[in-house]
Amino acid sequence: MARSNLELPLARSPVLRYGLAALSVSVALGAALLLERFHFRNVADPLFLVAIAVTVWYAGIGPAIFAVVLSGLGDTYFFIEPIYSLYITRDDIPHFVIFVLFASLLTGFAAVRRRVERDLVQARDDLQIEVAERTQQASLLNLTHDPIFVRDMSDVITYWNRGAQELYGWTDKEAVGRRSQELLQTIVPTPLEDIRAELLRINRWEGELRKTKADGTQVVVASRWSLRRDEQERPVAILETNNNITEGKRREDEIQGLNQELAKRSAELESINKELEAFAYSVSHDLRAPLRHMAGYTELLQERASSVVDEKSNHYMAMILDSAKRMGNLIDDLLAFSRIGRAETQKTRFNLTQLVKEAVSEVREGTEGRNIAWKIGTLPDFYGDRSMLRLVLVNLLSNAIKFTRTRPQAEIEIGSANGNGDELIVFVRDNGVGFDMKYVNKLFGVFQRLHQAHEFEGTGIGLATVQRIIHRHGGKVWAEGVVDSGATFYFSAPRPEGQLWRP
Amino acid sequence: METMNKLGRILMVEDDPKDVELSLTALEEYNLANEVIVTHDGEQALDYLYCRGEYKTRSSGNPAVMLLDLKLPKVDGLEVLKQIKSDGELRMIPVVVLTSSKEEKDMVASYKLGVNAYVVKPVDFHEFVNAIKELGVFWAVINEPPPGSVRK
Repeated sequence: MARSNLELPLARSPVLRYGLAALSVSVALGAALLLERFHFRNVADPLFLVAIAVTVWYAGIGPAIFAVVLSGLGDTYFFIEPIYSLYITRDDIPHFVIFVLFASLLTGFAAVRRRVERDLVQARDDLQIEVAERTQQASLLNLTHDPIFVRDMSDVITYWNRGAQELYGWTDKEAVGRRSQELLQTIVPTPLEDIRAELLRINRWEGELRKTKADGTQVVVASRWSLRRDEQERPVAILETNNNITEGKRREDEIQGLNQELAKRSAELESINKELEAFAYSVSHDLRAPLRHMAGYTELLQERASSVVDEKSNHYMAMILDSAKRMGNLIDDLLAFSRIGRAETQKTRFNLTQLVKEAVSEVREGTEGRNIAWKIGTLPDFYGDRSMLRLVLVNLLSNAIKFTRTRPQAEIEIGSANGNGDELIVFVRDNGVGFDMKYVNKLFGVFQRLHQAHEFEGTGIGLATVQRIIHRHGGKVWAEGVVDSGATFYFSAPRPEGQLWRP
Repeated sequence: METMNKLGRILMVEDDPKDVELSLTALEEYNLANEVIVTHDGEQALDYLYCRGEYKTRSSGNPAVMLLDLKLPKVDGLEVLKQIKSDGELRMIPVVVLTSSKEEKDMVASYKLGVNAYVVKPVDFHEFVNAIKELGVFWAVINEPPPGSVRK
């Protein structure tokens, strides 16, 4: 748009503007006097009016009034009888008054016209600025990757940004003017009337929508609608911002599916666990009873018959009793082992040195007459189930006591070692009979024993229990041994938070 | 013993005949078996206590102690215990649970219902005999049973 077409060449300086008034009136006066010399009649008034018109046009209303005054004076002095005087005869008054009125009218009209034009220019300028701003804003909206589009109240798209083009595959030329419902085949989660009602109530709505792209595939978008109203508060347009969440939605569905699967598995596990519990209960109760009866009746038999039967028969009865007792121990250990798997761990932070002392004093009972040198190092704090860890220590220490039985001077050491990073390691070392490293894998298995029953008693569950408890604490167990030179049993566990390693 | 103290009646609730026999043998050794009533399931035990069914005509009076197994046919031990301890007349009868179960939940459940003692039957016969004997001596002889108990 060419701005200069309507530009008014209005002089800014007052000197120039009033000078223009004086100049144009002077020119008109000169021209009138010249024409009069050639006997043209009545040319002064039209010429003065032209001068006034030029002044009002180019210099504004002040200079124009000045021109009217000058013209009046010039007219009176040069052209109205008596000439060369400012005196006006009674007959000429109407002529003079009409001239002045006409000149004023011309000035007035010109001024009004002038003002209207100035307003128009102003309005045009404002409009151009706004257009520029809007254009810039629209191009800013184009910069965002989010699809944004505007539709009017009859659902016709009036704006379509580049993000929308990228997501839906329609260009703005294709989209603008189309009804959004037809173009995108939007599937709404709630009735459209409800959405509209909410939109009219609070001017916004947001939710998940399913829309169809130009290529026919569906996308899920998080959609935000904002209602635009005009100055009379009438709704005029809806601005919709979309956020493609198809991938997130897919993952969410996937996660939900996995969660359901997990819940199912967990329920299955729970029921298996319940069965196991019932099984353990039944073992605890029903297996023990016949055992007790075997032992009971054998004892009764022993009481009645020991004096009348031979030594062998007595030996047999003793063996039956021994076996019954052993089976009783096996059942007890097995049940304890199974309970560890089922029991809930109650984790606290506690001092390991104190717990080791308690465990030592527990296992010391029954070691009267033995010569055992205990060496307890500095131990770190431990985070775990205290009673379970106590069982670990009691088992390891009992083993150490048991397998050093053949030593005149038993040495049992409990200490800690540096683990990797956030791990703490505790070990129990003895100078007992040790074991062959080639069987190390069997050590922690249930019912696995590396010694014959007549050498060292045991059910083969102690170390399995230790392993199970440590595994439940997220740690590991391992052992090192040399036949006849002792064994070391290690367990590791995550270090309690905030504890620095101190050797 | 009998000459010094009166012998309280013992109600034994035990479904396993071998356990019954061994228990009675143990009690006999200490002359505590004369006043033992044996019932074989929870229903029979309750029938005895309420003097109904086959015990309709029994002489009245509560046992000085009840030795109750937990795993019983028909009405199980915990249910019997629950009924006894919620009955205003019977709740005073001392009840000793005598069971094979070492399960903590059984123990907790029994104590919650108000059992007076909980004894796990030892596998070792000597220990079993000792446990039965001590129970018999304590509850049937030493302990002063609540009023209304049968003593001879």
